Amino acid sequence: MVNKLIKEDTKMFLTGNEVLAYAANAAEAEFMYGYPITPQNEIMHTWCKLLPKTEAGFLQTEDEISAGFSTLGGILAGKRAFTATAGPGNVIMQDAMSMAEMMRIPFVCAVMQRGGPSTATVIYAQQETRLTCYGGNGEGFRIVYSTAGHQDLFDYMIKAFNTAWKYRFPTFVLADGYQGKMREPVTLYDPASRGIKMVPVEASLLAPGKIGTDRPSNHLRNTFNMEEELMEVLDEYAVDFAKLEDEISEYEEYKADDAEILIITHGIVARSARTAIDELREKGVKAGMFRPITLRPLAVKPLRAAVSRAKQILFTESANGQLAQMILEAVYGLTTPYSTLYKMGVGVTGDDIVEKVEAMLKQPVTV
Amino acid sequence: MRTKIALAGEGGQGVQSIAKILVEAGYEADKQVLYIPNFGVEQRGGVSIAFCQISDKTIGEPRYSKADIVIMLSDRAIQRCETYVDENTTIVYDSSICTEAPKCKAKKIIAVEANKIANEQLSARVFNIIILGVLLAATNVLELKDIKNAMEMALGKKFDAKPELRELNYKALEMGMNLITEKAGV
Repeated sequence: MVNKLIKEDTKMFLTGNEVLAYAANAAEAEFMYGYPITPQNEIMHTWCKLLPKTEAGFLQTEDEISAGFSTLGGILAGKRAFTATAGPGNVIMQDAMSMAEMMRIPFVCAVMQRGGPSTATVIYAQQETRLTCYGGNGEGFRIVYSTAGHQDLFDYMIKAFNTAWKYRFPTFVLADGYQGKMREPVTLYDPASRGIKMVPVEASLLAPGKIGTDRPSNHLRNTFNMEEELMEVLDEYAVDFAKLEDEISEYEEYKADDAEILIITHGIVARSARTAIDELREKGVKAGMFRPITLRPLAVKPLRAAVSRAKQILFTESANGQLAQMILEAVYGLTTPYSTLYKMGVGVTGDDIVEKVEAMLKQPVTV
Repeated sequence: MRTKIALAGEGGQGVQSIAKILVEAGYEADKQVLYIPNFGVEQRGGVSIAFCQISDKTIGEPRYSKADIVIMLSDRAIQRCETYVDENTTIVYDSSICTEAPKCKAKKIIAVEANKIANEQLSARVFNIIILGVLLAATNVLELKDIKNAMEMALGKKFDAKPELRELNYKALEMGMNLITEKAGV
């Protein structure tokens, strides 16, 4: 057991990376494995700085391949373990993340997106959206929470551990360099004070008791001899994953009820959309927002309802339509025309969105 | 009411240090604050920008297109930050560092000689604190006591070890405030 540092509601002024370390501690995480990469380094710095008080563990590995697999090892040994990465680190950790999908290992990872492709910038982007949702040589049996600021980071990092251990799919907190590096006020709390009970962890390997007498064997497979054997397992996973939409999908709507122009976005860009919507509403423009919080699984029913109600859709992202691609598949058959505002690896501001929406009012989109 | 402040200078001028004091002061004064340091791959050199927001209401966008006030502390900072200026922006630049005044269209362009004053009258080390004083006087966002409180939080240990440092920093803050005779209206 680790020592939890936050015993009562505590308002603090922190960077997002610091918030994530505190959240993992609040969630009773016992071990972090990691390899440094900007802009997520301060997650491990903070985690390590707190170690004398928390009595948790940390291992810095030689690269992200090792960090990913070490995390899996810790989890298989029954520890509530996690890791964090970004950019190229996220790319090379995909093998371990795929293994978590295959073996249903409750892997938890915070991703602080930076510019891509490749090394690109160390600053900010939303260009790891597709990678985090669908990376690896698998089918995207992953749960992905996209956060929009520090309170989200704290809330969803705690939630990620419970979701991962309850449903046994790899679970991600998808944020970005802005959220990691920026400072804003946040309220930290003990999850128990919010009625949140941490799902108990258990060892998959070296579990106590004698196999055959005290407990059945744990059959963990990552290799299959026959094609059909593999499909049988994955079909079951697909059924399990499909059930998640009703159970865990989350979304946020902002002034979306009567919105004629519906802005669809996620993560920190949703904050800019709020700024823009407030300004547009003051000018009498009926703008609103639909923000999926879970990108995997998407909340498809409310999404389709919101898209059906609107006259025009605007997709906006700090990427070239990575979210839009997923949304368009989910709203197949609907005919609401859409336009896009994509800034690859660059922050979208409220002004950018206001300008775009005003252009859409002047010249409505038809496709 | 939300105030968008951009501070830009050369790496090493202490831009991020005063930005931290500024937002900490805002936080302690119970305002909504959001601060993004500009961070890149460079260890030193290059233009360092701090994007700050202080507001009475919840802050939405983390980055903004145009600032209410932009502090420019080098020629390169002027070039880099003209994009954050429009007709509602007040610019404060250091005319004892910059070789030319900003040419962009702004609401107001104010020149201060913080660098010269620091070198000649105080110490080069408190150049950034003079700028903090300028910023405090140019805006109506925070009070002197908020800034002093935040300075104690950031530098209190150093001050306790060397009390003359506290005096020097407070003097720099005050001299910076006196450089601004009119409110910038932000």
